[in-house]
Amino acid sequence: MSQGITHVLEEWKCLDEEYQRLQETHKKYLQKLDDISKLQNNCSTSISRQQKKLKEITHLVKQYSKVPSEEDAKNLHEITEKIKTRPNAFFEMEAFLPKKNGLYLSLVLGNVNVTLLSKQSKFAYKDEYEKFKLYTAVTLVLFSFICFFFVNYRVVDALLNFLLVWYYCTLTIRESILITNGSRIKGWWVFHHYISAFLSGVMLTWPDGNLYQTFRNQFLAYCLYQSFVQCLQCYYQSGCLYRLRALGERHNMDLTVEGFQSWMWKGLTFLLPFLFFGHFWQLCNGLTLFRMAQLSDWKEWQVLMCSLCFLVLFMGNFFTTVAVVRQKIKTRNPKPKSL
Amino acid sequence: MSKPRLQAEWEEIEGEYQQLQETHKIYRQKLEDLTNLQATCSSAISKQRKCLKDLRQTLARCAKACDDKDIKLITDIKTQIKDKENVFFDMEAYLPKKNGLYLNLVLGNVNVTLLSNQAKFAYKDEYEKFKLYMTIILMFGAITCLFFLNCRVTDEIFNFLLVWYYCTLTIRESILMSNGSRIKGWWVSHHYVSTFLSGVMLTWPEGLMYQKFRSQFLAFSIYQSFLQFLQYYYQSGCLYRLRALGERNQLDLTVEGFQSWMWRGLTFLLPFLFFGHFWQLYNSVTLFRLAGHEDCKEWQVFMLALTFLVLFLGNFLTTLKVVHQKFQKNHKKVQKSD
Repeated sequence: MSQGITHVLEEWKCLDEEYQRLQETHKKYLQKLDDISKLQNNCSTSISRQQKKLKEITHLVKQYSKVPSEEDAKNLHEITEKIKTRPNAFFEMEAFLPKKNGLYLSLVLGNVNVTLLSKQSKFAYKDEYEKFKLYTAVTLVLFSFICFFFVNYRVVDALLNFLLVWYYCTLTIRESILITNGSRIKGWWVFHHYISAFLSGVMLTWPDGNLYQTFRNQFLAYCLYQSFVQCLQCYYQSGCLYRLRALGERHNMDLTVEGFQSWMWKGLTFLLPFLFFGHFWQLCNGLTLFRMAQLSDWKEWQVLMCSLCFLVLFMGNFFTTVAVVRQKIKTRNPKPKSL
Repeated sequence: MSKPRLQAEWEEIEGEYQQLQETHKIYRQKLEDLTNLQATCSSAISKQRKCLKDLRQTLARCAKACDDKDIKLITDIKTQIKDKENVFFDMEAYLPKKNGLYLNLVLGNVNVTLLSNQAKFAYKDEYEKFKLYMTIILMFGAITCLFFLNCRVTDEIFNFLLVWYYCTLTIRESILMSNGSRIKGWWVSHHYVSTFLSGVMLTWPEGLMYQKFRSQFLAFSIYQSFLQFLQYYYQSGCLYRLRALGERNQLDLTVEGFQSWMWRGLTFLLPFLFFGHFWQLYNSVTLFRLAGHEDCKEWQVFMLALTFLVLFLGNFLTTLKVVHQKFQKNHKKVQKSD
């Protein structure tokens, strides 16, 4: 046998030993996987059982608290407090247990589990979501800039609209995953991405024509402004959130949003006028389109539909932001207690 | 309502809660151990892969300068290397891995590996059901658009549904591939091409050219959905039988084409498939002719013509290859028996 072959055989033997070790580790791993999924089931069923029991005991407490004695009142108060805080503990626990996907994620992904099982991976995922928003916002700024100033083709506009649809759809998917992982985004800030995806879809189908050309510049300028504001928001909000998290005043999974939230009073108040300007631009778009629909040569349904969408967006954005401002004013000037 | 009862119930709940907290703590600890094991396995596998690659190169060098006995040894080792690589592929199906570019863009770095055989199989089953239900919905949608409604809005809704369907298929198939399913090549790409096609159809404005092509496209969609339904129905039965015989992998999927395992009982599907492919060619030719028409000013016509042509070529040539391979195998069998 030649020397080369001897050398090869030695290496092969070494590799084989490592391979045997790998197989054993893998077997141990599969066993642990099994144990873990049993523990997961255990925890999940225990939590749902506890939640049911808590509901029952709340009932009992209500009945009993009608005729309490001195010391019982103290006990009852203690129990009621614990019942109130228990769901929060469950919410935190469930963020590390696999759960069934909601309807939207189920439709798109199927029943693959999207729960990230460690704090770092959740935080890394949230970080990645923010980066995605920032990079796509920058891309949208550049693209709408090009469409507005340099290129006037329906094809390129269609590409921009496809990008918008894809961007908003991807945001909705990623936000659903974040919500499954314990992020507390809710209400309008989730819903308005669905509306924006729908609006961009309708814009996509609007054929080239007189009315389209009349609205095009206004829409592209609006896109440019909107993407620019989103860049600003991502940039300043993440800095602010970082600071607040370090101070322990915000939750790790809080996200940057496209609106104004209560924590932003600490340093981001300057963003408010930009936001309101954006909202009023949406109102302006809605009204422009509505007026276009009254013209004699109007025949595209997209005009009215987009007008409606812009109005809904304006109302949702404006009233949600105004609610935050009102709350702030209330906390600053509490009503004097009547004597 | 007595105090002792309330107290007793509350104590029971508190006891269970303490237990839950303990279990959850153990769970979090085990989760950490598991993550470490995962990292160990993954790095061991990549190290072995690298060493095997180097070994293969060394073997190739040795093979040039040795005698017959050594050649047998070398071939033996080469086969073992290949087997090991298959084992690694199967091992990795249970380890978390980084998502590919497409899944990364859409989902981010959430892990989509299903960590047990039943979960993988259930996911595959769900994928098949999704295809089946959507195919039926698309068939009814196309029938409604062709026979009952002639409105650009409903056509748009139908096209959006097509785009959404093909996008979702691409996402789910990427997840299946992450989990060890061996779908490849044209059968994955053609969903991307179909998404693009439906997207372009979406932007095609109402007009003379559109009305001329509309009925042909809707009829084609009906036929296509019907064919997919047939395929699903017969393929899943066949796959079930073959899996029971141990001849196919658990994660093999029904596809929109013809694959080697389908010779066992599904040969009757071939003419239907070829008819569908030639209908795609016919669509392409029709669109090319429309693009040459003097009234045509929409770019979508030419783009769609090209896309249908690409679909036809991909589908037809891939299917032809399977038929060709079968003939070659039969020919070899006949030669051996002579």
